[in-house]
Amino acid sequence: MEQLIEELKREIIEVLNLEGMKPEDIDENAPLFGEGLGLDSIDALELIVLMEKNYGIKLQNANEGKEIFKSVRVMAEYIKEHRTK
Amino acid sequence: MDIFIRSASQISFQQPLDMQWLTAPIFPSVAFNPPLEPDYKQFVSPVESRRMGHLLKRAVAVSLDALRKGDCSMPDAVISGTGLGCIENTEKFLNAVIDNEEECLPPTPFMQSTHNTVSSQIALKLQCHGYNSTYSHRGTSFDSALLDAVIQIQLGQIGSALVGGYDEMTPAYFRMLNKLGYWRTDEASDVDSLQKSGRVGSISGSSAVSLLLTSSPSSEKLCQLYGIEAFSCFEKNQLPAIYHDFLLKYGIVEADIDAVMCGFSGDDSNDEMYRYFVAECCPQSDVLWYKHLFGESFCASAFGVYAAACCLHQQKVPTHLYYMKERKRDKIRKILVFNCFQNIDGSLILLSL
Repeated sequence: MEQLIEELKREIIEVLNLEGMKPEDIDENAPLFGEGLGLDSIDALELIVLMEKNYGIKLQNANEGKEIFKSVRVMAEYIKEHRTK
Repeated sequence: MDIFIRSASQISFQQPLDMQWLTAPIFPSVAFNPPLEPDYKQFVSPVESRRMGHLLKRAVAVSLDALRKGDCSMPDAVISGTGLGCIENTEKFLNAVIDNEEECLPPTPFMQSTHNTVSSQIALKLQCHGYNSTYSHRGTSFDSALLDAVIQIQLGQIGSALVGGYDEMTPAYFRMLNKLGYWRTDEASDVDSLQKSGRVGSISGSSAVSLLLTSSPSSEKLCQLYGIEAFSCFEKNQLPAIYHDFLLKYGIVEADIDAVMCGFSGDDSNDEMYRYFVAECCPQSDVLWYKHLFGESFCASAFGVYAAACCLHQQKVPTHLYYMKERKRDKIRKILVFNCFQNIDGSLILLSL
C-alpha cells in the first residue's frame, strides 16, 4: 500500500503539473479538494483520466468521485481494490 | 478621435520585457529560435500557472507588463490575434488521441488548444469583464485585432484596449514546416544571408507582443496610432492605389512618412512584394525591417508595430533596423508599417510621434 501511495503521489504531481512539489510534500491523509492540495473540478477530471489510463478503472458514477478522491490514501485503497492493470 | 499606444511589452528571442534589442540586439544564427523566458513567478503564481502552456504564460506576462508600464490597472477590452493559438497544447492533445487510442484524453490540453484561450486567460487573470475577442486570420491576425480595437475606440465603445499578437513555434511544428521548405538552413540564417536575394526560407520565431491602446493622451505614450487599413485578395499592381488611397484618407503625403517598416524575412517569395512596395510607393522613405530580430511567425507584424513605436518614442532608429537607405533625420515623425501575408492579405499601419 505504501508503495502504491508513493507511486500515486508522483503521478498526481505529474498530471496536475504541481511544479516544485515532491511526493513527501503531499500528506496522504489530507483532503485533495478544498483544503489540503486545494484541487478543483478540472483536476478531478484529470484524476479520473489518470485512474482509467494507469489502473484501468472507469468511474461510472460521478458521485463516487467524492468518496474516492477524499485523500491520496483513500484513492490508493480504491485503486488497490478495483485495478484491472 | 486620436488613439495612442501608451505602452508595450514583448517576449521573443531578444531580452524579454525589455527594449535592449534597440541597443544590444541578439542576432540569430540558426533557424529555430525559442524565446528567452522571463521569471513568470513575478506575474503568475505556480498554482495559477500550472495549467498554462508556454504561450499563455508569455501572453499573461506581456499583458501585465504592458499595463504596468502604461500605469493602467484595467483595460476596457482584451483583443488578441493568433494564427494557431496554443499549438503546444493542441499537439499534446492530438498526441494523446493517438497514444491512448482515442480514450483517456487529458482535459487541460483540450481546453487550452482553442484559439480564444489566450484572450480569455488574460481577461481571467485581470478579472476584465469587458469586450473580449480573438482574431485568427493567419498572417494578419494581429492586424485584425488592432483594427478591431481602433474601430471600438472610434465608436466610443471602449476607451482603452490591450491588443496582443501571440504565436508559438514548437519543435514539432518547426520540423513540419521545415519539410515544406519554410526555414533556412542554420548555415544561412545569419543577418547577411537573410538580406541576399534569390534565397528561400526564413528564420522562425515565437511572438508575444502586447500593446496598450488608449484614447486619452498621456505624456508617457509611445506614439500615436495615426491610421490603419487592412485589405485582402489584392493584386500586386493594385498596391500603389491602395497606398495612395490610404494617404488621402489620412490627409498626408508620401514625404510625411519618414520610414517604412516592412516584413522582409529573407524568403524571396515573401520579400518580393515588399521590394515592389518600396520601389513603387515610397522610394524616398527609409526602409526598416524587424524579422531578423524577432523571426517569422503568424503574428510577426506585431513586432513591426512594436519596433516602430519604440523607435518613435526613442526618436532613434538603430542601424541594425535599416534594411536599406539610411538617411540622417533631425526628427522621426511618422513610420508606416506594411505587412503582407503570402501576397494575399495585407495591412498598412501608420504610427506618428
